[in-house]
Amino acid sequence: IFFTGLSPFLFCRRQQYVGKVRFAHFDTHVQSSKKVVVATEKNVFAALNTRTGELFWRHVDKTGSEGNIDALLLQGADAVLVVGNGRLLRSWEVNIGGLNWEILLDSGSFQSACLVGQQDNVKYVAVLKKTVISLHYLSNGHQKWIENLPDSETVDYQAVYSGGNGEVYVLGVVPHSHIAVVVYSVDDGEILKQFSVEAAWLSNIQTSCAVVGKGMLTCVDSTTLSLYMLDLHTQLQMTQLPLQTLGLEVDPGFHPTLVSTQPNAARQPLSEFFLQLGPEHYVLLQLNNGQIVTLRDFKPAMLVSFATTGEKTVAAVMSPKNKTACGLNLFSADTGRRLLDTTLIFNMDPYGGKPETLYVQAFLKKDDSVGYRAIVQTEDHTLTFLQQPGRVMWTREEALSDVVTMEMVDLPLTGTQAELEGEFGKKADGLMSMVLKRLSSQFILLQAWVSHLWKLFYDARKPRSQVKNDVTIENLSRDEFNLQKMMVMVTASGKLFGIDSKTGTIVWKHYLDNIPSNAAFKLMVQRTTAHFPHPPQCTLLIKDKDTGLATLHVFNPIFGKKSHITPPALPQPILQSLLLPLMDQDYAKVLLLVDDQYKVSAFPSTKNVLQQLQEMASSIFFYLVDSSQGRLSGYRLRTDLSTELIWEVVIPPEIQRIVSVKGKRPNEHVHSQGRVMGDRSVLYKYLNPNLLAIVTESTDSHQERSFVGILLIDGVTGRIIHEAVQRKTKGPVHVVHSENWVVYEYWSTKSRRNEFSVIELYEGMELYNSTVFSSLDRPHAPQVLQQSYIFPSAISTLEATLTEKGITSRHLLIGLPSGGILSLPKMFLDPRRPEIVTEQSREENLIPYAPELPIRTEWYINYNQTISRVRGIYTAPSGLESTCLVVAYGLDIYQTRVYPSKQFDVLKDDYDYMLISSVLFALFFATMISKRLAEVKLLNRAWR
Amino acid sequence: MASPGGQGGGALSTRGGGGAKRMKWALELSLGNTRSRGDRQGGQGDVVYPIGYSEKPVPDTSIQETDKNLVEKRCWDVALGPLKQIPMNLFIMYMSGNTISIFPIMMVCMMAWRPIQALMSMSATFKLLESSSQQWLQGLVYLIGNLLGSALAIYKCQSMGLLPTHSSDWLAFIDPPQRMEIMGGGMVL
Repeated sequence: IFFTGLSPFLFCRRQQYVGKVRFAHFDTHVQSSKKVVVATEKNVFAALNTRTGELFWRHVDKTGSEGNIDALLLQGADAVLVVGNGRLLRSWEVNIGGLNWEILLDSGSFQSACLVGQQDNVKYVAVLKKTVISLHYLSNGHQKWIENLPDSETVDYQAVYSGGNGEVYVLGVVPHSHIAVVVYSVDDGEILKQFSVEAAWLSNIQTSCAVVGKGMLTCVDSTTLSLYMLDLHTQLQMTQLPLQTLGLEVDPGFHPTLVSTQPNAARQPLSEFFLQLGPEHYVLLQLNNGQIVTLRDFKPAMLVSFATTGEKTVAAVMSPKNKTACGLNLFSADTGRRLLDTTLIFNMDPYGGKPETLYVQAFLKKDDSVGYRAIVQTEDHTLTFLQQPGRVMWTREEALSDVVTMEMVDLPLTGTQAELEGEFGKKADGLMSMVLKRLSSQFILLQAWVSHLWKLFYDARKPRSQVKNDVTIENLSRDEFNLQKMMVMVTASGKLFGIDSKTGTIVWKHYLDNIPSNAAFKLMVQRTTAHFPHPPQCTLLIKDKDTGLATLHVFNPIFGKKSHITPPALPQPILQSLLLPLMDQDYAKVLLLVDDQYKVSAFPSTKNVLQQLQEMASSIFFYLVDSSQGRLSGYRLRTDLSTELIWEVVIPPEIQRIVSVKGKRPNEHVHSQGRVMGDRSVLYKYLNPNLLAIVTESTDSHQERSFVGILLIDGVTGRIIHEAVQRKTKGPVHVVHSENWVVYEYWSTKSRRNEFSVIELYEGMELYNSTVFSSLDRPHAPQVLQQSYIFPSAISTLEATLTEKGITSRHLLIGLPSGGILSLPKMFLDPRRPEIVTEQSREENLIPYAPELPIRTEWYINYNQTISRVRGIYTAPSGLESTCLVVAYGLDIYQTRVYPSKQFDVLKDDYDYMLISSVLFALFFATMISKRLAEVKLLNRAWR
Repeated sequence: MASPGGQGGGALSTRGGGGAKRMKWALELSLGNTRSRGDRQGGQGDVVYPIGYSEKPVPDTSIQETDKNLVEKRCWDVALGPLKQIPMNLFIMYMSGNTISIFPIMMVCMMAWRPIQALMSMSATFKLLESSSQQWLQGLVYLIGNLLGSALAIYKCQSMGLLPTHSSDWLAFIDPPQRMEIMGGGMVL
């Protein structure tokens, strides 16, 4: 059976993300603007389209603290960013995302920044650092003045404020002593005033204080439960106002906070502000002639936010309605009255997180009433854009910008089959019921197949454009060549996604709350879809790195539903897990969990499994690598599920540390057991399934003494097969270990370039034992060949293609920092590449050795679709031998197919079916007719 | 068709049949002749053979002695045929070279197929050689010639690399070895 190959662009799909939003501002300088400007924790600055949720533009900065966005200030069409802990000040044009200017700031850790205006005109931006304050023009970034802060050794300056009256207030604190205020003149940076006020209770201005109204510094203290107010203009004593006098009560153990707003940087902040008294309790207060008035008490209220349009400022309050929905209401900021017809219902995703932040854009309607749109950010990093009356315009799953691990799972044959799996997944005992069950499931399959055929027939008559490619659970089914799979992605935030690989649609999502921030994840497919009517089953091992305790989340990878199977409680810290090829009676692979006492527990742990384990125990081995102690150890399973240490290798951690350990992929098939030489003899590959490649880096980072080591070790016996050290090199090292080869990449400090090295292992001209492979019985060491090459670019990740039967030649997929994914034929990384070309090497099709590896532009598999910050590439075989499915993930997710040996099992898309079939038919009929004619002629001749 | 009654019959026959014309009348002069024979012989139909005329040729017995030698010679020709082809085959082999392409392959196929065909129809050849006195010797020579021909074809196959004599030819049939141990693990999570 053949099918037509289509244009490569049809199969690749890129999705761009920005990461968890840290700052978001609606672009309001033009009424018709439909932008929201976001700066994220992934150091991305982007503008989103509020109508569709797509990106207008995106700027990806360096990772880590160097590109960290400290502040985002939006003024008109300019967005001012402080980047890299106060290293850079940048201004972007919001409409097209172009850079207006960028200046380098003086060193010093960044504290705060604010816009400074004068006479209703915002012209400057003030940047406060630990020891200096500088003022810059908004138009070109030039520095107007820079001043050293007085007593910066003792005073911790934390905030800067300007009320638009030509003065810049710098607020500092000496913890548990006093507040220090320095007032600068905007014009020349002269210190106008400097005073300090006793405040022994205060330790952090930014978390507990806000400037309200006409320069009234208002702070809230959780120990004395009172508000403190200080007029920055009159600089009198701080007045204490116990919250009890206002009739307010703070939830026990809660640290109250203030939310204020300054709609225009050239004017004073509003005199209304929110005081949060509990996790779900807010009060709207007003400062009126030095008196605090309670405007409205909001309880319960989850989130509050101010929004301004024109001269009107409104407060948006989100309050829980029931378990699955929240209500959003607008209140007039100056009176606290609820505005009519402003209710908006936000239906929470039952598989999502709780709302975390609220961004509101208010606008004036034609009848002068206030309308609004809102973006709700939830704990699972999802952005939901809502419009009145509760219509979800779009959602962005920003958790996908941080995929940790993923798997691809085959889809069930038809959607109906998958739905029925649950019903028929129950156990059946006895012969009769088994037969009945089998028959009924076969009948269901037949029914589903017929309906599928009917649908195919029905769809075929429709024009192509009308056939929708929406993917729902109903039409989710495996295609003819198993090219469409379910991508199960685990993200760092603890949200799991099921994405259809063909269309990129998110089929299901599931947020796991209570995921520790530094969790390690390991995803395993325990049961595939092949065992109908048992549902497929995936298990996610989540380990808290601090406590070492682990939990298991068992789910159905097609629907994302949590399985009814209760995973075992794991009271002991877990070191590793190991998925055995053994299956229980329900066809679930057995998962072994090794705890810190080196005891093993099995999941599932039925009697059948334990019996199988007892039988197999002597051939089950596992290894553990402790990189902190540099210890590699191998264990063997005993029949009572305890273990015994059988080997140990210690790599002194003070000299070198273990960076990575790579075994072979369990689903890898090698079709050819050897390589044919030029003289037609065979060089047999050393295909040890238990081989591990261990990469070490020297702890000494001096460029003359640093080195990278690679160790090939048998995981069962602990025997060191090969060891190689690259001197004057350093990491990061990227490794791929497959078949009989290991490819790794490192930085050569001596030649200052990236180098690839390949090791291939061969058994020799004869096989020692061609029927079974046992690590315990391998007397001969393999032949080791190694060659190194220069690679003209740095790389960010490395992976090898994988196909169903391993007949197709292999390619290496290299993620480049430039955003390209390069498909480099493994043929170029072959240690048998000869320096001198001979007849034999030509016979073998070996490329003569050249130190440089080329980068050919046609090798980029993602064409012009740049993928930012590729962190990993996942490859999976498809049903077609020629085709390998590739997913690259990082900030973006890119999904495509590669054909390392071209599409040898697929007809070309320009294959002329019409011509060939018509020729065939014509020939057929011609034969028939001429046969008949010949018969007639023969008969006539016989009569004559 | 030149039957005498044909001239008048054209006007008389009412049924316009194509080939099967019924004759109004016919005069048969020679008794032994059937009508069909008369038809076939055309113009000679009404000629009476003279007495003593035989339609079968009379075998000539006067040259029996020399014929025996001829048969022998002819049989040797048959027996030596395959051997005589060998130099020709060698030349073709040399000319076609060892590259694997359609023409050399066709030649090799022909070279291999002809002796095999000959060997298969050995009994027919034996029947041909029946009349010879040296039948067995000739048969043996014929056999050897054909065997040599096929050996040559095999040699050609060998030199072209078409014979699966190397271990690499059987590489695709080696199954991956079965794994005896189950191993797994990794870095401590």
